[in-house]
Amino acid sequence: MDILTLSIILVIVLFGLLLSGLWVGFSLMAVALVAMELTRPGLAGAVFATKVWGSLNIWDLTALPMFIWMGEILFRSRLSSDLFRGLAPFTRRLPGGLLHANILGCALFAAVSGSSAATTATVGRMSLPELKARGYDPQLAIGTLAGAGTFGFLIPPSIILIVYGAATEQSIARLFLAGVLPGLMLAALFAGYVMIWALMNRDRMPAPAPAPSWAERWDAIRALGPTVALIVAVIGSIYAGLASPTEAAVIGVVGALLISGLSGGLDMASAKDSITGAAITTCMIAFILAGASFLTVAMGYTSIPRQLAAWIGDQGYSQFALLAALLVFFIVLGFFLDGISIVVLTTSVILPMVMAAGIDPIWFGVFLVLVVEMSQITPPVGFNLFVLQSITGRGIFQIARMALPFFLILVLATAILSIFPEIALWLPNTMLNR
Amino acid sequence: QTAWDMPTPYGDSVFHTQNIMTFADDVRDATDGSVDITVHSAGSLFAHGQIKDSVRRGLAPMGEILMSQLVNENPIFGADSIPFLAASYDDASALWDASREDVAGALAEQGLTLLFSVPWPGQSLYLREAVTDPAQLQGMSFRAYNSATERMAQLLDMVPTQVEAGDIPTAFSTGRISGMITSPSTGVSSQAWDYTSHYIDTQAWLPKNMVFVNSAALAALSEDEQAAIMAAAEAAEARGWDMSAAETAEKIAGLEEGGMTVMQPSDALSAKLAEVGEVMLDEWLAQAGDAGAAMIARYQGE
Amino acid sequence: MLRRVLDRLYATALGAACLAMIAIAGLVFLQIIGRIIDRVLILSGVDPLGLAIPSLSDFGGFLFVAAATLALPATLRAAGHVRVTLALALFGPRVGGVLTVAVLAIALALAGFAAWHSGAQMWDSLSFNTVSFGMVKVPLWIPQAVMTMGFALLALAVLDELLTALRGATPAFRLAEAKRSEGGH
Ligand code: NA
Ligand code: NA
Repeated sequence: MDILTLSIILVIVLFGLLLSGLWVGFSLMAVALVAMELTRPGLAGAVFATKVWGSLNIWDLTALPMFIWMGEILFRSRLSSDLFRGLAPFTRRLPGGLLHANILGCALFAAVSGSSAATTATVGRMSLPELKARGYDPQLAIGTLAGAGTFGFLIPPSIILIVYGAATEQSIARLFLAGVLPGLMLAALFAGYVMIWALMNRDRMPAPAPAPSWAERWDAIRALGPTVALIVAVIGSIYAGLASPTEAAVIGVVGALLISGLSGGLDMASAKDSITGAAITTCMIAFILAGASFLTVAMGYTSIPRQLAAWIGDQGYSQFALLAALLVFFIVLGFFLDGISIVVLTTSVILPMVMAAGIDPIWFGVFLVLVVEMSQITPPVGFNLFVLQSITGRGIFQIARMALPFFLILVLATAILSIFPEIALWLPNTMLNR
Repeated sequence: QTAWDMPTPYGDSVFHTQNIMTFADDVRDATDGSVDITVHSAGSLFAHGQIKDSVRRGLAPMGEILMSQLVNENPIFGADSIPFLAASYDDASALWDASREDVAGALAEQGLTLLFSVPWPGQSLYLREAVTDPAQLQGMSFRAYNSATERMAQLLDMVPTQVEAGDIPTAFSTGRISGMITSPSTGVSSQAWDYTSHYIDTQAWLPKNMVFVNSAALAALSEDEQAAIMAAAEAAEARGWDMSAAETAEKIAGLEEGGMTVMQPSDALSAKLAEVGEVMLDEWLAQAGDAGAAMIARYQGE
Repeated sequence: MLRRVLDRLYATALGAACLAMIAIAGLVFLQIIGRIIDRVLILSGVDPLGLAIPSLSDFGGFLFVAAATLALPATLRAAGHVRVTLALALFGPRVGGVLTVAVLAIALALAGFAAWHSGAQMWDSLSFNTVSFGMVKVPLWIPQAVMTMGFALLALAVLDELLTALRGATPAFRLAEAKRSEGGH
């Protein structure tokens, strides 16, 4: 079977199953199963077990339940409402107000967590209920979170840069440094969009609170204290060399338990709810990860992504045309596959053509992260959409529409990065010699 | 036509992968394209930890792994990771001659046929200070990635710390570890000068990668095809050893060019390391039993 | 009676998943404490104890597998697993009921597939005596048995829901979905 027919069959199967309401993890499994039976009949079962075992039995993944658990504790112990109460007086004059807490929260959290699912789940658990209670437009609140949740990949540490660095023998230290400024740029672009939106849609923003008194300001700072201390402890434990980024997640859990226990905000029942809630969210993400890993290996056997990438290579594009073609290629594949899988499946084919076109491999790593971030918020398969669906109960297509402006900003960011490659390269070239 | 998928753990720019690509080309040429091997590098089909069992279970007919990854299954796979037992290409080659039969036999028990094995350049120390006195190592946090490196760190009075490969730069820059041992190849490809300053050229052991094939899949080929694979494997082994040896000098120069201080181990450090090697050889012999003892006797008799 | 037994079973599996998470937190926390103690000892000029939990990264991986898979049935029933409910909202309750039965039937086949082949992998590890790569040799069939158990319980929970739907009652996950869309953000 030629790959075009095969691709069409698989896309139809995926859409059919997803739209009929089959769970995402099962849908991915089913598509992979069809792909395997059409290309390597008889292997599917053993490949499934091997791949799912290999994709879940991973030490780095332990950070995921820990961060989600931390978010659950903060959410249930009212520490998160304290955080928002504390921030409110200081964002009063800022167009967009507390919506920026989503962006700032994700950026801070991304400095600890390497994955965007963990970032979105943890920050969203705390911020969405608070923003809703304060009368913010849910559409923009959810959209901002979907967009900013993808910072987890760009701001170091980053799972995707580690995967790319390992596959292409690039220095991970350099890749991490290269991600910092683009991450800040993206945060600024998102914040700018929120401000413009807020200025243009004043009627959809909550009424501004009256100016706080000094007593209220002091109260706000005290309310912020515990959560800020927790953030400092988590980030600080990494920079003091006491914990790896994965281990820092546990500091977050222990710290959150300690603070909420001391402040009397967490009783036994909500402590129990927090861990079962975390287990359920973790299970949801892990089940999709399992399905996605099976689909990834099936795609490796069918060689569809490889051949598509090779086809782009055969077109003899110039540097910019190549990047534009790759952007389209990644966006299209990103609808159906998760971003990390695409990178894993195609770097072998893509990196040589990128190098031949004279593109810096470190810069290209950052470009890849941006396109992978896009894949997180495009339907039907986008991890941030799934996480947000589980938090908000809204459908993924609806959430994807809310995230659309942020998807477009990500596209804009790749354009800016292509015109000004120094945004990525300046920091690694300055901080590290040679 | 037979289309074969071959999962390998390392990236395309690693000489092991390049050697395997040439091997696949050789097989394709020799069989007029009737055996077409697609190399899935950098763990893109199966991750390193799953490759051996995937090939054993027939999910992929052929694969490559680091030999010492299987040391928990059989100590024989760890013979090339005993410090200072075979710390040069000549010695490593002699050790491989002495252990090849045992390794092939252990694989055959699982329905796998050994094709060829190629060493990495010698394992040397990467540190953040010049170390001449072994006492300087005391209390240092040292990256351990398997039982051999953990034991070595313990015997040198260091604190073994598990750090995943992707986490190494962060672990160094935050002070969670301040030393590691790896090959000059890995040092250059991960640009070790970004986070360490001193390379001490111990070349303590030469760990090997091995390429194997599912025996049933091999037997299903025609005799000519099998012969072509065996011939290409023999050529790949010879070529791989040459590539590895050429890498050593080239990559050490690369480390120097990157700004690292390249130094030879002091006599005191060498003596201490040799002592550690003796202890670890004894411990390995205690595990490996008669087969291990016979293998070491063959090696040292040569 | 059977209802109570099944509910108890799903709750126990979820409890075990939570215990796996607590174990991850506990072990990692001990590891960090050990590192801090060593740091203090070195600073005060004493030989460090080298406190570290051997093969922590292996155990962490196994515990994550346990946490992720044992929670599968409870997550299904709590509507924790994500799906697209567009078609259900579009068509009436009659078509919705048919679709629910259809996706449960497909899910049952897939969960059965997952459990069966996960079990086959466990059996393979047992017969080939496959062990972990770390310093502590752990026979892989043990954590793989936990994964198999998780998928088997998922298959059971899907069957349970399917039978409920076929009886004309509302499956637990549909109840949870309805409850959540009322109180959604
Ligand atoms: Na990050
Ligand atoms: Na997507």
